Amino acid sequence: MRVKAGILIFALLLAAVPSTGLAAIGTIRFDDKIESMKKAGVGPVMFPHDKHEKTNKCDECHPKIFKDKRGENNISMKLNMEGKFCGSPNCHNSPKAFPLFQCASCHTGVKAVKKN
Amino acid sequence: MKASSTCKHLKVALLFSLLLIFGFAVTVAVSDAESVTKTKAKTMVAAATQAAPAPAKKSEKAEAPKIDPTDTTSVIYLDTAGKPAGVGDPNKPPSMAYKAGRGWHPQALAAQGLPKDRYGLIDWARIVRENLVKPRFSLNPEDDEMPPLKMDVLITAKGDFVNDVIYPHEMHTFWLKCEICHATVGGPIFIPVKGSNDMSMVGIVQGQWCGRCHGKIAFPLTDCSRCHTSPKKAASK
Ligand code: HEC
Ligand code: HEC
Ligand code: HEC
Ligand code: HEC
Ligand code: HEC
Repeated sequence: MRVKAGILIFALLLAAVPSTGLAAIGTIRFDDKIESMKKAGVGPVMFPHDKHEKTNKCDECHPKIFKDKRGENNISMKLNMEGKFCGSPNCHNSPKAFPLFQCASCHTGVKAVKKN
Repeated sequence: MKASSTCKHLKVALLFSLLLIFGFAVTVAVSDAESVTKTKAKTMVAAATQAAPAPAKKSEKAEAPKIDPTDTTSVIYLDTAGKPAGVGDPNKPPSMAYKAGRGWHPQALAAQGLPKDRYGLIDWARIVRENLVKPRFSLNPEDDEMPPLKMDVLITAKGDFVNDVIYPHEMHTFWLKCEICHATVGGPIFIPVKGSNDMSMVGIVQGQWCGRCHGKIAFPLTDCSRCHTSPKKAASK
């Protein structure tokens, strides 16, 4: 009995540590504007939060550029092009990161277009 | 007896978990430090690679002080291959490279102080608007001069938010003949009827439609707002 209780506490602590402080956000999928994206022939955006954490400090993005809550930002390509969100002046609108016209670097499902 | 053994077990369990937390903290700190040095190395590499792919600009900078800007007629311009591409004197006959329709004059361009866009590229559209150049209409003196066509065409962008595109014939026909776009060898780039070209931004990025020129001989696609100028109707904001 007592041994089991000890092991239980031990196991709980083991599970609690990574799920609080070190929880990884991983990749965030953006598809609120999927209707508009379909018309343009591009798919949902997969945002690698973990990669950005390695190259940027949290406060470079939160809360200045993005609210740190999923689905609260109302990002659109129009706003990206106007220098907001992903297209902020030091980000994908500068030589520091790949440019906005590389649709396939952010959007999934971008097909090769045949013609001419 | 029993109570104290529970205490023992609890103590052992707590000790273990404390050790674990400590272990986690240390590895995190170490990996953080690692990633910092890594990004430093990365940015340095990025800086190096950025400098590399612009040999034309480099030579421009290196050569610039040798040019006497007050006396452009005495200058002999070299192309990127180092061969003479032309001279600064407009009355002298053009070089072989010029006759062959080739020859890039990086120094000549640098010496003229032409306006640049926000990417440091020469802004050929502003040059036209400010009347800074007066190119000959054609190499063939027989050709009848034709003024630029003042006609804008609205091209609607698919999707609900992105601004529509106003295509200006005037700027294009200052530089280009109608045939270049409407009677191109291998099929026209654009059929000259509004809305009859099934364009897409994805295709443009892949080098079709406007992408046949923009990003190559005309301002780059990065400059989204130079094409996307007409806001969508208020209905969809
Ligand atoms: C490059 C910019 C950037 C950086 C740097 C960044 N984030 Fe984020 N973060 C985002 C974006 C974009 C989202 C998604 C917001 C949305 O879904 O609208 C996000 C979402 C989040 C969320 C919400 C996740 C969820 O599931 O709701 C949290 C929490 C968060 N970030 C914390 C952090 C922390 C902590 C750091 C520093 C280690 C950090 N972020 C660094 C851009 C960034
Ligand atoms: C830096 C990353 C990035 C790049 C590059 C990018 N997008 Fe986006 N795009 C986004 C994000 C983020 C959204 C918002 C998605 C959401 O919240 O639903 C978006 C949304 C969209 C939308 C829907 C919203 C709207 O404004 O209509 C379309 C259409 C779109 N993108 C097309 C494109 C095209 C075409 C390209 C290439 C020219 C492109 N995108 C390049 C990140 C990017
Ligand atoms: C740089 C390429 C380019 C050049 C050069 C060019 N055009 Fe066009 N033209 C276009 C595009 C793009 C459209 C719009 C097609 C669409 O809406 O699908 C167009 C459309 C047209 C239309 C149809 C307009 C309408 O409202 O239906 C006419 C007519 C036309 N062009 C005539 C000309 C003439 C005449 C010249 C030479 C003076 C010329 N174009 C030079 C690209 C060009
Ligand atoms: C050379 C002019 C030009 C530039 C520069 C340009 N676009 Fe476009 N874009 C167009 C045209 C033309 C269309 C309309 C295509 C069509 O008929 O659907 C378009 C359409 C779009 C659409 C709607 C989807 C579609 O296929 O219609 C998006 C999204 C878009 N552009 C994003 C961008 C972004 C992001 C940039 C900057 C990185 C950009 N564009 C730069 C000409 C341009
Ligand atoms: C045959 C080559 C060619 C094609 C195709 C072409 N352009 Fe251009 N475009 C040019 C040249 C050359 C210029 C003038 C030089 C410059 O601005 O870089 C120009 C200038 C422009 C300008 C003027 C910018 C300003 O500041 O006034 C706009 C807008 C533009 N193009 C949009 C488009 C759009 C939209 C398309 C596709 C529908 C397109 N172009 C297709 C060659 C082309």
